[in-house]
Amino acid sequence: MMASMVANGSRDGQSLVLKGVDPETCMIVFKNHWAQVVKILEKHDPLRSTSSLSVINLSSGSSGSPRFGPIPGDEASAVQNYVEHMLFLLIEEESGQAGAMGPILEFVVMENVMERLFVWSLRREFTDDMKLEQLKMYEMLVGQAHQPLLHHKPILRPLMMLLSSCSGTTAPRVEAELVLLLNQLCCVLAKDTSILELFFHTSEDQGATNFLIFSLLIPFIHREGTVGQQARDALLLIMSLSAENERVAKHIAENTFFCPVLATGLSGLYSSLPTKLEVPNEEWHCLHREDWLRMPSLVQFLNSLEFCNAVIQVAHPDIRDQLVGYIYNGFLVPVLAPALHKLTLEEVMTTTAYLELFLRSVSEPALLQTFLSFILLHQHENVHILDTLVSRINTPFQLGTVSLALFRTLIGLYCEDVMLQLVLRYLIPCNHMMLSQRRVVRERDCYSVSAAKILALTPSCCSPDHSPPPLRQLESILFSKGAETPNTASTKEETETFLVEDDGSGNSCTIGSEIYLDVSYLHYLYDARLSISSCIRACHVWSALYDGEDPPPEKYQPGVLEEPGLKSRQTQMALRKVPQPVVPRPRPCPPPNAEPASVSQLELEWDDSYDAGPMQIAEAPEESKPPLPPSAEPPMHIQEMRKTAIMLVKGSYIEENEFQDDVMVYDLVAKKDARDVERVRLNSSGAKSEEAQPGPAEVSLKNGLNLTLPTPLMADNKSSSDTKAKSQTDCNSNLQNTAPADDLLAQYEELLRTLDSEAAGKLVKTDAEMKKPVTPAEEEEEEMDFTSFTVETPEKLPHSPFGTKLSSGSAGRSQSVPFTGPFVSVLLSRMENMLSNSLHVNLLLTGILAQLAAYPQPLLRSFLLNTNLVFQPTVRSLYQVLATIKHQIEDLAATGKDFPKLITAAQHWLLARETSVMEADTSSSRQSNQGEVGRILKSSPPPLPKAISLDRTEVFATVLFTEFLKELAAIAQEHSILSYIPMEE
Amino acid sequence: MNLNPFWSMSANTSRKQRSDNEEQSGHEQRASPARLSFGKKQLPPIPKNAAPVTKPASTGTPAQSANGTHASYGPFYLEYSLLAEFTLVIKQKLPGIYVQPSYKSALMWFGVIFIRHGLYQDGVFKFTVYIPDNYPDGECPKLVFDIPVFHPLVDPVSGELDVRRAFTKWRRNHNHIWQVLMYARTIFYKINTTEPLNPEAAVLYEKDVHLFKSKVVDSVKLCNSHLFDQPKIDDPYAISFSPWNPAVHEEAKERMFTYKRRPEDHHKGTQVSGLSWVKPGSTQPFSKDDSPPQS
Repeated sequence: MMASMVANGSRDGQSLVLKGVDPETCMIVFKNHWAQVVKILEKHDPLRSTSSLSVINLSSGSSGSPRFGPIPGDEASAVQNYVEHMLFLLIEEESGQAGAMGPILEFVVMENVMERLFVWSLRREFTDDMKLEQLKMYEMLVGQAHQPLLHHKPILRPLMMLLSSCSGTTAPRVEAELVLLLNQLCCVLAKDTSILELFFHTSEDQGATNFLIFSLLIPFIHREGTVGQQARDALLLIMSLSAENERVAKHIAENTFFCPVLATGLSGLYSSLPTKLEVPNEEWHCLHREDWLRMPSLVQFLNSLEFCNAVIQVAHPDIRDQLVGYIYNGFLVPVLAPALHKLTLEEVMTTTAYLELFLRSVSEPALLQTFLSFILLHQHENVHILDTLVSRINTPFQLGTVSLALFRTLIGLYCEDVMLQLVLRYLIPCNHMMLSQRRVVRERDCYSVSAAKILALTPSCCSPDHSPPPLRQLESILFSKGAETPNTASTKEETETFLVEDDGSGNSCTIGSEIYLDVSYLHYLYDARLSISSCIRACHVWSALYDGEDPPPEKYQPGVLEEPGLKSRQTQMALRKVPQPVVPRPRPCPPPNAEPASVSQLELEWDDSYDAGPMQIAEAPEESKPPLPPSAEPPMHIQEMRKTAIMLVKGSYIEENEFQDDVMVYDLVAKKDARDVERVRLNSSGAKSEEAQPGPAEVSLKNGLNLTLPTPLMADNKSSSDTKAKSQTDCNSNLQNTAPADDLLAQYEELLRTLDSEAAGKLVKTDAEMKKPVTPAEEEEEEMDFTSFTVETPEKLPHSPFGTKLSSGSAGRSQSVPFTGPFVSVLLSRMENMLSNSLHVNLLLTGILAQLAAYPQPLLRSFLLNTNLVFQPTVRSLYQVLATIKHQIEDLAATGKDFPKLITAAQHWLLARETSVMEADTSSSRQSNQGEVGRILKSSPPPLPKAISLDRTEVFATVLFTEFLKELAAIAQEHSILSYIPMEE
Repeated sequence: MNLNPFWSMSANTSRKQRSDNEEQSGHEQRASPARLSFGKKQLPPIPKNAAPVTKPASTGTPAQSANGTHASYGPFYLEYSLLAEFTLVIKQKLPGIYVQPSYKSALMWFGVIFIRHGLYQDGVFKFTVYIPDNYPDGECPKLVFDIPVFHPLVDPVSGELDVRRAFTKWRRNHNHIWQVLMYARTIFYKINTTEPLNPEAAVLYEKDVHLFKSKVVDSVKLCNSHLFDQPKIDDPYAISFSPWNPAVHEEAKERMFTYKRRPEDHHKGTQVSGLSWVKPGSTQPFSKDDSPPQS
């Protein structure tokens, strides 16, 4: 059998034999064989026509019943034998002079050998075996012949007929062979495009689809395994062909379902992905290579995505645009958008992780652009995907962590559009700083003033010389590099000699030789240099400098794109009834101490105690009275209301609260349960009571998100001690800046009336939730109330003393009220909670902030790093947040006796962790880029010392905080030299 | 005087190589954007780049370091202030002036100034800039010519230029080192004789310009005859001149000229990272014309 010959590889031996044989002998042998074959063929051909194809019905042929009586087995195998030899002769024949056909080939063409053989195989039973045989025969011919064969119709035609007869095949063996042959044909096509025309023409004769090999490949696009891979490779060859050949491009774009199949295939594959991922641990935040390699369905999806990426890379622009359009409208919008808004927290988290992985997998700009414009501009149920994603950063659960990872990836793209929507558009108007400060934006920090201010925030308990070796990395760095020897004594000597030889004019050229310095800071400088310079290089392609002049602040049109969406979203939300979360009630009512305040702290944390300075009082002049002594604290609910009212008076946090909707509920649940668990833990000293496991909290969110979570998990997220501490500071700052309660209450009432019902309704609800157990009736009453005056109330606005500030639409706000955008706000507010964040959340947060700070755009750089810039009082800066954290740490260190010991333990552990990570890193010498981070978080960290548990988040956060300060300072310093070097350098 | 303008700055090449390496390693970052956030804040044990020489801390007495205060970053600030000054100098593109911080210390810069016309035409004067270690809060930097040029404002013995008259008080943020360099250039074109450091030169300029001129020509000749001398201060980054030697300099010259053309190619090759679909002048994402419409 021909097939067996190929498989046995006996051909090699034969070809050796043939080498010495002269062409004429070969020709004679060939003709002889053919004569024998013809004899048998004609014996079984009643019509005795040489070319009988026209009368053969292919479709019935493939059904495979012998029509002219059975053919004896010996005759069949005789034909096989002859053909076998003939094929070898054909393959081995060299082409004639000047590319002319060799004599055997000429004979094959003249006698229409291939076609007659095909008809012969049709006449016999056209089984899968037969197809397989024929396919292999052609595969051998195409792959191994010494002269081009496909140019000749008598060879091409039967090949095309064979192919089309295989089109409906389902047998895996035939499929595999078919795809292999198609792949080979595509290789030939790619090398010799002149055949392309023939392929089109032959198909036309055939009356079948125009470009048969292409159409045959399409069903295998999403196939897994070798077959799929070969098919995709073959298609890619055709795609790159299309880039140069208009006709192919046009055909594919207009006459085939290639693009829709590809795009909808993504949707299909996506639907088979697990909707909930099993998360290995709390640290997990994105899908690493090791993760998805274990998920076949995800591997398959990524293969197809990678294929789309490759097609877009090589194909003709028409195909590219079409495919990108189908991916947007056929996958992203109808599949991914709803998936991002699924019902449960786990599902949403899973989708977010998928999206993050997809963004990392896609490299082709056009495809990346499709994904990005989906994220930045698409609205799902009138809410921008971006807004939704940003709001989720603040969820205390894994969703928040995964969202952080997503944004880290987004920021790492160095994409102007992303940065514009996330941050820059809010900074362009320069509203966030005092008018006089605009020129400072471009100023360079020549003398590292900002770095010094940032480093000055280092908590006293973390000063490097407080820690024992090896943690202490204080060494004398000799900036003056006279010495080559590391030996201390000789170093000094040489320095001195260096100074002596220095012309004696008293010019000391040594820097800091006698001061012990933090050596680890050098690493930060080095890393900062790398990250800033690569960022600068990447941003070369950006359209503007973002330096406070280009684009000009006055010209900026605030958010034209998102306007309609926001408005309709507001009305929608106003009309929607927010169901009351069902939370397991605390058994005894908590005593009215600071704890309730800490609960509501989270959703109000936009209110920044730090910037509640004199400027704020100036905003509400009628309230500016001497601060009350802390002893005269009004009841808690009054304090809360007051705080809320301040927020409204300041006017800047309305939209942020909108973003917070989901988040608020998450937080409330988490907080309450954390408290419950805490209390139970305290009460039931030692004995594990059943109360420790309250039932799963079920919460309905405004967007229909139902989450069911085991409570202990949420409780783990927060340590209540520091929130308590924090709340106290906040309360104090509140008191200092607010007026007597009644005054404010009156204002508050007024505000409620003048605000649109959405904001108001929410506020009341939050308050109600917090202050007193609300009966359903009461609540409904309130809600009714608010919806009833939704429409009319805004007209009353002029009466309000706070007039413009209160318009909650983002258009009004972005023009008048300083606002640095939801993304920055949410990052800073999570940062502010640093002490209660888990270690990995803080790693992500500081990583994102550090990367933002590495961007060279003066607007961004000055906002994050310039400590001299004077901001509007309502704008919170990174520096302020850092200062707040420092104070919290100092308080902790002052009260906790074992704090220094814990810090040391944490430092040791982090150091060991770092070492193990670096070892893992070098041992598996970066096989994959995506795996690296995975290893860092996964490579089993060293066992924690007994002295400290990871629950002591404040301890780890303190260590991390100190390191983050160095990182930021180093970035600031490197900016002062890198960002100003002319671009040509 | 026929001078060859090519001198070997041996240090230059090695520097460039280093920055090239840095660039290369920078490229890998995009592939794993996440990397940035890790591996840093975790107290790395051993310094990776040993650029500044470090010596081990003397045994176990950290308390005495820096008078009992905790670790100081002051030297880092100073080093970066000086680097910032140097980038400012580069940015100014001062005509005929070349400077290079020394290898040993950022507080000492080597320089050379080419005078292209006027009384001091064809003069090539090497100098050294000394910056006080309490920069920028100290006095103004010193500028000392290797060979005392015959000039009213140059000390005939030490070669020091009277810089202080131009910068009576050194003010941070207002005064920069490039201004000192600029000043050093100006004195050769616009001669000032008040309160001279070299009274002889001042008097001659006022009374006998011809003699002054001939003295200047002699001084210029003297300086240029010492051009190929070993640098006064032994430092790898010191500026040294050598006669034209095709074997050494031709290749360097070649590279200097080809380097100019490189940036464009450079950008094409490394265009991997950044993305933008914002139309210039617009503040809307995906406003560029070539962004295909999505729906």
